[in-house]
Amino acid sequence: MEAASLRQTVRVIAHSSSLSVRNTFAAVPWYLWLGQVLFTSFFAMAFFAFVADFAANPEVTVAYVVLGNAIQSVAMVTLYSVANLPAIEKHVGTMPVLISSPTGLFTIFVGMSLFQIMAGFLTVAVSLGYAVYIFGLDLSAMHLSVMVVIIILTSFSMAGLGMMIGALGTYLRTGMIIASVVSYVGLVLCGVNFPVHYLPEWLQPISYSLPLTYAVEAARLAAEGATLTEVFPQLSVMMLLGAAMLVASYFMLKGFERLVRRKGAYEAF
Amino acid sequence: MNVRASYAAFRQQMTHFLTDPQWIIPSLIAPFMFTMVVLMIYQDVDGPVVLQAVLGGGVLGMWGNTLYSSGWSISYDRYNGTLEPLMTSPTRLMDVVAGRSVWNTLIGLSNAVLVFVIAEIMFRTGVGLANPAEFFFILIITLASLASIGLVFSAFFVLTRASSVLMSSLEFPIYVVSGAMFPITLLPDWVIPFSYLLAPSWGVDAMKIAALEGYEGIGLGIAGSLGLMLLLTAVYILMARWLFKKIERNVRSYGTITRF
Repeated sequence: MEAASLRQTVRVIAHSSSLSVRNTFAAVPWYLWLGQVLFTSFFAMAFFAFVADFAANPEVTVAYVVLGNAIQSVAMVTLYSVANLPAIEKHVGTMPVLISSPTGLFTIFVGMSLFQIMAGFLTVAVSLGYAVYIFGLDLSAMHLSVMVVIIILTSFSMAGLGMMIGALGTYLRTGMIIASVVSYVGLVLCGVNFPVHYLPEWLQPISYSLPLTYAVEAARLAAEGATLTEVFPQLSVMMLLGAAMLVASYFMLKGFERLVRRKGAYEAF
Repeated sequence: MNVRASYAAFRQQMTHFLTDPQWIIPSLIAPFMFTMVVLMIYQDVDGPVVLQAVLGGGVLGMWGNTLYSSGWSISYDRYNGTLEPLMTSPTRLMDVVAGRSVWNTLIGLSNAVLVFVIAEIMFRTGVGLANPAEFFFILIITLASLASIGLVFSAFFVLTRASSVLMSSLEFPIYVVSGAMFPITLLPDWVIPFSYLLAPSWGVDAMKIAALEGYEGIGLGIAGSLGLMLLLTAVYILMARWLFKKIERNVRSYGTITRF
């Protein structure tokens, strides 16, 4: 019975995942989607690189900023897209159908988020390419395998945060606003463009409760040649936070399903 | 131009906004966060440079609002199934979109003012505007020039369902090329002509001259920068008019609006 249930869950995840790809490319041609990945990450990085160049702050160099933005590009893609999944279902009117299906929302959204996680990998790879070949970031001391591990784990933990925001958004008329707010907040709080200690002291605990802060810290250490053991503390906290957020999203989505079924009041949300 | 239709579109857009005003948050949050980041990076810099960052944030706020509202103005019609009736009505689409743009421009202005005020309260730049009246006049004209770019984009967005992708792709290039947050002289030589073709770059330059004591900018002075911005804005409006006409004629002649 348990094996059958697991098989069913895997099938739902696989199906949702392929549906998510088809939905994306039904609305947006692949070349525009790819153009967005290539364009947005480049110009976002260029914007902050020029600001850093103009500011001439010795602690915040162009190299510092472009590496932070390369890692942050995962957040922009993974977090925002995953957080938006429930909002899109609500927007196009398919959420009531999903709720009334025997499969839980959590399983469906996990499946749908897989494509966004893959998109996150592509974005960060492209962004690192820009950082090195256009903005002159020196990664000669870096162990490639360490950076790859950091990127993969970052994508998953950011998807956890995205799922939690998306789950919270189901209780609201639209979750798109929280999604866009949180995805931009990372620029300020997570050490992407300047060290976290620049922030007022009361804001720093919030920074350290976000997975991206640890991802950026680990990436900076990896760029200087750190091994996997040396970045383990950052990665373990990041994964712990990501997993906790994923679990929270599970309970929030379950709670939402129960609430709207019990009250029969989906339209109220 | 059908002024009554434009006015009706203005009122309709206002009603849409007032029904769900939370949509101002996304277009406000990005420029505000960017302003905060820039001010944090500047650290020990004060006075005019800080004011420049705050002004830049306001311009980014206006641009974000223009881009998203022009994109969504057509996309919402598509979602709601009202694009087809709109296209087949005797009123020109450009008149309708222009009316909506005027409302969006007003919201863009409030957006800019909000960024200025919040940043000023948080970071206490303590620097006054050199010529406040001139500055606010140029701010409004710059906003109008951004709205004219929005009109051109709206015309293109009639032809695509992928306006959301195009909108997010176009957000940062203008942030970079307009020189809102840093002088355009920092850009590579081959990019600078693109900045000069962009009306808001001249608006930003004129605004900085009016706001900052001793700022020389690109070198044309307020009148020169303002003149060029107005000229480019007129070109954008003519371009939008031509595009709307051509697109409307094509989709009506061939009955192909649902294809896009």
